[in-house]
Amino acid sequence: MAIKEPLNDPMLDPVTGEYRVIAPGHTFKSVTEKVSRIVLTSHTPVGWWGGLAIAGGGVLMLMVALTWLFLKGVGIWGITIPVAWGFAIVNFVWWIGIGHAGTLISAILLLFKQSWRNSINRFAEAMTIFAVVCAGLFPLIHTGRPWLAYWLFPYPNTMNVWPQFRSPLLWDVFAVSTYATISVVFWYLGMVPDLGTLRDRAQSKFAQFFYGIISLGWRGSVRHWTRYETASLLLAGLSTPLVLSVHSVISFDFAVALLPGWHTTIFPPYFVAGAVYSGFAMVITLAIPIRKFYHLEDLITIRHIDNMGKVMLVTGGIVAYGYWMEVFMAYWYSASRWEYFMMWNRMFGPMGWSYWVLITCNIALPQLMWARKFRRNPTLMFIMSFIVNTGMWFERFVIVVTSLTRDYLPSSWGTYKATRWDYMTFAGTLALFTFLFFLFIRFLPMIPMSELRILLPQAKIKAKQEPLPEAGD
Amino acid sequence: MAQHAKTLPHDLGAPEFVDRWRARALVIGAIFGALGIILGFLAGDGWNHFLRAWLHGTMISFGFCCGGMALLMTQYLSGGKWGLLVRRPLEAMTRTLPLVFLYFLPVGIFGMSFKQLYLWSRYNTDPWGAWKQHLISATQAHSIYFKHPLLNPVTFWCVSIFCFASWWLYTHLLNKWSLQRDADTAPNVPYWQVKFENLSGFGVVFYTLTLTAVSIYWVMSLDVTWYSTVYGLQFLVGQAYGVLALVILTLIGLSKAEPIKTIMRITEQHDLGKLCFAFVMLNIYLAFAAFLIIWSGNSPEEIPWYLDRVRGNWGVVATLDVVFHWLIPFTLLLSRDLKRIKGRLAVCCCVMIFARCWDMFWLIEPNFKDAARNLHFSIGILEYLTVPVAMIAFWMAYYFTNLKTRPLVATNDPHLEEILEPEHAHA
Repeated sequence: MAIKEPLNDPMLDPVTGEYRVIAPGHTFKSVTEKVSRIVLTSHTPVGWWGGLAIAGGGVLMLMVALTWLFLKGVGIWGITIPVAWGFAIVNFVWWIGIGHAGTLISAILLLFKQSWRNSINRFAEAMTIFAVVCAGLFPLIHTGRPWLAYWLFPYPNTMNVWPQFRSPLLWDVFAVSTYATISVVFWYLGMVPDLGTLRDRAQSKFAQFFYGIISLGWRGSVRHWTRYETASLLLAGLSTPLVLSVHSVISFDFAVALLPGWHTTIFPPYFVAGAVYSGFAMVITLAIPIRKFYHLEDLITIRHIDNMGKVMLVTGGIVAYGYWMEVFMAYWYSASRWEYFMMWNRMFGPMGWSYWVLITCNIALPQLMWARKFRRNPTLMFIMSFIVNTGMWFERFVIVVTSLTRDYLPSSWGTYKATRWDYMTFAGTLALFTFLFFLFIRFLPMIPMSELRILLPQAKIKAKQEPLPEAGD
Repeated sequence: MAQHAKTLPHDLGAPEFVDRWRARALVIGAIFGALGIILGFLAGDGWNHFLRAWLHGTMISFGFCCGGMALLMTQYLSGGKWGLLVRRPLEAMTRTLPLVFLYFLPVGIFGMSFKQLYLWSRYNTDPWGAWKQHLISATQAHSIYFKHPLLNPVTFWCVSIFCFASWWLYTHLLNKWSLQRDADTAPNVPYWQVKFENLSGFGVVFYTLTLTAVSIYWVMSLDVTWYSTVYGLQFLVGQAYGVLALVILTLIGLSKAEPIKTIMRITEQHDLGKLCFAFVMLNIYLAFAAFLIIWSGNSPEEIPWYLDRVRGNWGVVATLDVVFHWLIPFTLLLSRDLKRIKGRLAVCCCVMIFARCWDMFWLIEPNFKDAARNLHFSIGILEYLTVPVAMIAFWMAYYFTNLKTRPLVATNDPHLEEILEPEHAHA
């Protein structure tokens, strides 16, 4: 059979035909220099200052929105009865979902020995932490009295009041706080060898002192590496169930209730898949401008973008399957008039437009990613990442708002309209996320140098080929 | 000290002892088949339990065959060295589809067309009339009436035949191209990779949808009133759970001789063990999440399904289901050493396969009025021991026959070189 396609691109592996994880020609030194230079340079790019300033402006807007909220109360939002959960819970679920890609990349892909993760895991983990920070803000401010948020925790008190242990909202407290803790520890632990490198390469006294303190005395000895590897694997093992548990617990917030559109058994897996879907979309949103701005195309290659597109196809497929099962059961199999009406209301009710936005963004347009050419085009993937994240936000909006506006009793039906404060708070968290991310890429190594070096060909030991045995051996 | 890379033996065919496995499977199938027929005559309830047990055996065999196809396509999509190890056993599983179709025919003919298994097929034409005669409840009558466009003999047969035909097409292409790829001497790795990816990408999506359809038709509709959106996904994960256990068991058995002895390194065995562990967790996750949601909801439309399966003696069966399905494999597979020791991993895989059968019994039998809410011990219930064992044994014999017909290692694969290297050769 003839060879179908000659492989002239140096970025393509001639044996497998796949894009390489690192561009050819890199050495241990070049990788270290390229990544550490971004942090240790004394010339901060103007673009970075510009981005930070815009994001900082957004953070100020968030501060204004929160201050007004604390002064006036949650009445400034669009929430009402029956829609007591509005933007706050939608944003909370959306942000938590975004964080999932970081945990999946750092934990599950590590256990599955997916070496392509090495270039993107650090900033995906950072993204997780910042997303959890933004997410955590919403339930806190939604309580109305955030200064009493510690009541959420079961602690012995003189009033002898305990939280409701059967409520998934309490499970959220444990799930999200565990998730945040493990993510921070994992992220920081993974950075220690690179912080040691930065300490050793730093020229200024302050940088030497700063990185010296936070690198925890890393020497790169065999003992240190052994313990580092063991700790990484243990944390990966701990984080893996968290990928499933956190968003499953969040799905229980809805699914254990008997509201039409909420009470469905597919919610846990489809919430998890949706979380990973939106999380990978956000990684792409961040990775593509970063690789362009810092000229990291040889470390974050087309292979990464292609693979992330594949993960999005899989998780988007599970999400689509979830939507389809809901429609199938509601219209044809449940024999329940409530389920039937819920789905009709979602599709054609007063907020039906939002359902079709989510179907377009989450199912219809992402099918373009079946095409390799599309997945391997950074610009198109960048646009697609925005589309998917828009769709995923609308998914949560549809679930929360359309079900609450029209439940079993027509007499209690209502409507929902977000206010400017809702929009300002959401936009403010987007700015906060961006602001934190800008700080991260300037002061910490966004690409794990130590993990990239082991992917280089010179890090591999090849066995000698044994001579072929004689026939009959 | 640098070690030498291994080389593949000249003969890549299955070893002679696979014939002995096949012979044993046939003997077991014959003995248990005969016992099943005898029990059919002896049982007080006629052949009812025989047919239910037949459905059980069909679902398990179908799970191995088509679940094997799904896993085969998954390994083409995910890549990795483990795919090279499992490819040929999985292909052999997929080629058992004709037998699975034969197994299905009595389910369709006697179970549905002769109205012996499915309540909806019995009262399909006049559910409200049956309700008036107190043969079924009002909820059942309403469900049968509402679902009539879906649950009727024509749709049942059309969906089933369409699914079998499309699975046959897929198994045919996967097997044919695999041989062609091995015969291709030109360096065409990217070409074949893309070709298999294109087929498998759509195939996995298509299989998920068709599996959902048949799991609803063949099993979920045994209880016409109940529904769960996660049911198809649970079947999909359950099939992968069983198939992985069987494929590991096969590889461990084959690793006593060449060529698997050469290519099955501890590293890949460990990886397969980890994958198994992942599916053990995924399986219990889906099952528990569905249970928690329905139990918390406690609505009269849903909760009877679980009550039918936990009340009376079913409580013991349900508890043991959790023990076999999750507790034992989870505890065993947590151990790194166990995943790397062939004998122990094989024991774990046997438990997992048994757990699939146990779970299927728990899924099927309580759907029937005489068994719901309490498991009554009778001669008929022993059919679940004899008939599925016989069916699975015959299926195994066919599987071993298929295993013998092709080389056990796909040679035209870029991972072959890596898998032949000594274990410590990779950093």
